[in-house]
Amino acid sequence: MKAVKIKDSEYEIKKGKILKAKMLTTMEKYFEIALPGGESLDHEPGQFVEVSILGIGEAPISISSSPTKRGSFELVVRNAGKLSGALHKLEAGDEVGIRGPFGKGFPVRILEGNDLLFVAAGLGVVPLRSLINFVIDNRRDFGKVNILLGCRTPQNMLFNDELEQWGKRLDVNFNCTVDKADPDWKGNVGLITTLIPGINLEPERTFAVVVGPPIMYKFVIVELLKKQIPERQILVSLERHMKCGLGKCGHCQINNMYCCQDGPVFTYDKIKGIPEAL
Amino acid sequence: MAKPKVAFFDFACCEGCQLQIANIGELLLDVLGLIDVVEFREVMSEKGPDKIDVAIVEGSITDKHAIERIKKIRERASVLIAYGACACTGGVNGMKNNFKLEDIRKEVYGDRFNYFDTVETKAVHQVVKVDYFVNGCPVYIPEFVKVLKCALQGLPYEVPDQSVCTECKLNENVCMYERGVTCLGPVTKAGCNSWCINNGNICYGCRGMVSNPNEKGAQDVIKKYNVPMDLVMNKMNMYNKCRENDKK
Amino acid sequence: MLHNLEQYVVLAKSDFDHFIVALAREQKVFAPVAKDFGQFSFEQVTEGRQVALKYIPTILPPKKYFMPQYETLATFDTSTGQNMEPVVEYEKMVLLGVHTCDLAGIQCLNMVFNERPKDLNYLIRKNKITIIGYECNDYCDKYASCRLVHNHTPNGGYDLFFTDISTDKFIVHVNTLAGEEIIEKANVFEPASEADLKALEKLRTEKRAIFAKNEVPIEHERISELFDKAYSSKVWEELAEKCLACGNCTNVCPSCYCFDVIDEPNLDLKTGKRYRKWDSCQNETFAKVAGGESFREERGARQRHRYYRKFKYPLDKFSRFFCTGCGRCSRTCMAGINLKETLSKLIDEQGMKNPNAGEVKLG
Repeated sequence: MKAVKIKDSEYEIKKGKILKAKMLTTMEKYFEIALPGGESLDHEPGQFVEVSILGIGEAPISISSSPTKRGSFELVVRNAGKLSGALHKLEAGDEVGIRGPFGKGFPVRILEGNDLLFVAAGLGVVPLRSLINFVIDNRRDFGKVNILLGCRTPQNMLFNDELEQWGKRLDVNFNCTVDKADPDWKGNVGLITTLIPGINLEPERTFAVVVGPPIMYKFVIVELLKKQIPERQILVSLERHMKCGLGKCGHCQINNMYCCQDGPVFTYDKIKGIPEAL
Repeated sequence: MAKPKVAFFDFACCEGCQLQIANIGELLLDVLGLIDVVEFREVMSEKGPDKIDVAIVEGSITDKHAIERIKKIRERASVLIAYGACACTGGVNGMKNNFKLEDIRKEVYGDRFNYFDTVETKAVHQVVKVDYFVNGCPVYIPEFVKVLKCALQGLPYEVPDQSVCTECKLNENVCMYERGVTCLGPVTKAGCNSWCINNGNICYGCRGMVSNPNEKGAQDVIKKYNVPMDLVMNKMNMYNKCRENDKK
Repeated sequence: MLHNLEQYVVLAKSDFDHFIVALAREQKVFAPVAKDFGQFSFEQVTEGRQVALKYIPTILPPKKYFMPQYETLATFDTSTGQNMEPVVEYEKMVLLGVHTCDLAGIQCLNMVFNERPKDLNYLIRKNKITIIGYECNDYCDKYASCRLVHNHTPNGGYDLFFTDISTDKFIVHVNTLAGEEIIEKANVFEPASEADLKALEKLRTEKRAIFAKNEVPIEHERISELFDKAYSSKVWEELAEKCLACGNCTNVCPSCYCFDVIDEPNLDLKTGKRYRKWDSCQNETFAKVAGGESFREERGARQRHRYYRKFKYPLDKFSRFFCTGCGRCSRTCMAGINLKETLSKLIDEQGMKNPNAGEVKLG
């Protein structure tokens, strides 16, 4: 069979140049990437890209930077598979392939004018950061902002400098907790769910945005519902293996939905009846 | 960049898998262009250096001397590839484990058996750490090339953990069970492109069992096709007797 | 008269071989060919006698031509960075002897790959394939359930469509310009007569009697409701006990299209290709994410997913069943997971049995 070049293939990649690369923890590496000619990625907070190293493969990775950051975008990758392992070997100056952005991100237009409660556990802070920084950069468009962060140990904490900045701001309430403290830790100890009851909020005008590992959603959502936050005002971002990003390959399917096209961001009222979602 | 130093070693085996490499023809030249073969008893006589990048080990571990030798090879090698069924699963040598070691020695060496030690047959990973597996009796060369590329790129290679049926169906073979023949394809790891069945043979399970077989389901199938259970177990144990060592 | 006479031609059976030979001289022709043990597969043919016109559904459906098992999506060369060139692999060909169930399967794939974002690889290749359908005048075997999903009669999706109307001739529906060109070039087809059309209508009437009832006791319109109710059914656990997770059911399914994308570098480790290959939701690792969590860990959940992808999800999205009724999944399953049996059990369990709508013969 003959192979013929085609234009406009959805599989075409753009060259992404790594501007900066650094380890955030022992497991997670940060990359700042620019497209050729400074072209904008033009993404919404919460969307993802497919990152390639040709010859090794491609994997879906959430965008961690806000679209308000121009000229480049940021990813944080945990060393957990073949592609991510190879990504960890790359440094500034190296190239990766980029497709996307893909998926439905956080509905920023709908969030405008409302109070926001961000809840992130573990790596959940990576995609959520795209929205948090977007909100901070457009601070006057939003109401009260609460940020709750949880992770296993202080060593797992990502973006320490930035968290400190969020903590210092008067227009943001920031609180974090670790499951297991070390002697230097002076903050909260306990699961992220323990931080929710103490938050003061007006449920009818609050959107809760929750991102974390699968197990965390059930417990956090129970707490949010106790706070009377309406189901359609609870947003989650689900993790699946979005292989093609085009709603075809089937890997990310959640019952009748494709996570890569219909998600990864969903409102809780949309998925609460979907058995495979949470 | 200097070419990686690659050495081939053999333990209890027929060396047929190494012969597969020698027989790959033109592709061999491409492979040799990538690596520096420092030890390969099948095609050369010189003995290699102390440190090697990749050790390709054929054969299973069957006596004390072999245990010592494989440990030394492991120390010398940055990457160790278990190569062929004997190395990966113990292979046919595992059949020894059906018998008492004492009886085996007497059977093989007669009245001089005391001069020869023997131990329970083990697959290489049951003695030292293995980085890559190239299953099969003999190895399937396209898979070997794939693994070699992964090793040279420093990437993991995952042996497919689906059954041979997956590939067999893509090749549109008539199912052996339809022909009234018992085939181990349903419980054997894919990756060989259903090589045997494509050529009219059954699957003997030489690539090892899938890691999470539905045993109850498999038994039902065996019953459905009226196959005696011990026949299947015998077939299974031909290549896979040593899997019992993994459970220990 | 139901049919438009002008759209029909006839071919004498004695000219069939001549037709194939002439067609195969123009372009590659693929048709069902007999294999051992009563099985068939689509293979390249050059003569009429190679073609098995009376056949049970082939081991693999014709989707293998529309969406090959292994298909290159791009070639790459990383010697100076991430350089990639998307490609499409295709071949002009004629697919001959395609049953109505398989025509439906191709229609399903067309819908999926036409949905935005469009899949150019599929769409370009599809346009190079001419399809000649062939009517089943009777059930192929006990596994088929084409009546249930309304695929026992043609619903378009072909360029030409052959029906065996008598001992000595086929009537052929000319559906497209591409089909018309084949007819003209072949120069062995005659215009159909009123009598030929009557014969076709008589045959279809007879077929209505043969395919009088659904193959399982439920109305076509109530299948959706059945699957609404059956999500937590015990039947899925029964399937879990049987299923060997070999993925044969999805590989042979004419409307299963899931795939994996894989990079294969050449030995220079710089150049190579990115290709996709068929994947199966029945594989244990299919819904696994990098962290190791699998979202359909149980075999029962994976089997249920397969059924819902045939009878429920596509109905919501594309307003059609993706089960074509071809029976391949049941025919191929070593563990004896049978689609008709599964549906019947679900129907019984949900109290939705209607003997007037259909009856199940598992025989």
